[in-house]
Amino acid sequence: MKTFLEGFAIGTLVLILGVFLFLKTEMADIRADAVPSPWVAGFLNIATHASVRRNAPTQQSPLPNDEQVLLAGGKLFLNDCAGCHGELGKPSEFGATFYPPVPQFAQTATRYTEAQIVWIAKHGIRRSGMGAEGTSYSDIDYWHLARFIRQMTQLPPHVLEAIKPPPAQQPSPSDVKK
Amino acid sequence: MKNFLAGFITPFILLPLVVLAYFALGFGDTRSDVKPSRWETALIRPAVRAAVRRNAANLSTPSTATEESIIAGGKLYVLGCMGCHGEPGKPYAEDHANFPPVPQLPHVGTQYCEPEIYWIVKHGIRFTAMSAYGPFYKEDQLWSLAAFIHRINTLTPAEIQSIQPQKH
Repeated sequence: MKTFLEGFAIGTLVLILGVFLFLKTEMADIRADAVPSPWVAGFLNIATHASVRRNAPTQQSPLPNDEQVLLAGGKLFLNDCAGCHGELGKPSEFGATFYPPVPQFAQTATRYTEAQIVWIAKHGIRRSGMGAEGTSYSDIDYWHLARFIRQMTQLPPHVLEAIKPPPAQQPSPSDVKK
Repeated sequence: MKNFLAGFITPFILLPLVVLAYFALGFGDTRSDVKPSRWETALIRPAVRAAVRRNAANLSTPSTATEESIIAGGKLYVLGCMGCHGEPGKPYAEDHANFPPVPQLPHVGTQYCEPEIYWIVKHGIRFTAMSAYGPFYKEDQLWSLAAFIHRINTLTPAEIQSIQPQKH
């Protein structure tokens, strides 16, 4: 038993030193435009989803199931989020240059609930391009945004039509930043 | 000896499992407005620096920066980088929205040399809000940006003036 414990202690030490040396000796790839192994990507995806599920509140939206809510959320989204998260029918080239790549909600439906979307938008996602929006929005605006993001892959045609900005006033990324 | 080997191998199986379980059960924090532990930061920061040094080691600046290329870089900075990295000549405002926080370059400057800055701007930094700008700039633009950013905390008032966008 004593030798087992000795081996265990030394094994642990070697493992920790190994990880430390790997990081210290400049071996880690840090480029945002090079894709990490599917193992790493898959695991981080699972960890992020699990953390959001554990930490975000479970709550129903205070807003009615109403088309006006979708429209208002859509306006906010197109003004502030579309620069990275993509416009309807047009994925963002800029969003693709981040790692992790910015999710394009119009193409891939989000797996999060409205309450989780509100929580993520408010607090951001650490070690990603998603900053904490904090007090940039009122609580009720967050809920509007969440309703829209949640339903972006299945918007009724007349809602699509209604939130389409007139061609001359397309928001550009530089406007969004201001 | 057999026991020793069994003991030696066990942590190689056990520790990864514990780490995987910890994160897969959602115990890792994702919020970017909450500071991570000192441990995490202390481990990752030197790793990023080391990786940049290693990767940019074989790069060298194509030509020495001129006042002209620095100003050209400054104009690109004002248009494309300032929104997150801070405006030259303005008071310091810490970034609380992102983690890792976006360095406010006009105040803190940078420890990286020009080839390293060039490499970072071109490829971005994984798991941060720094995306890869390779697709959006030409080579000479990347180099003039690097020249400007390298000097960004030592600009003269005249230089700050000359990078401002022209008013219509």
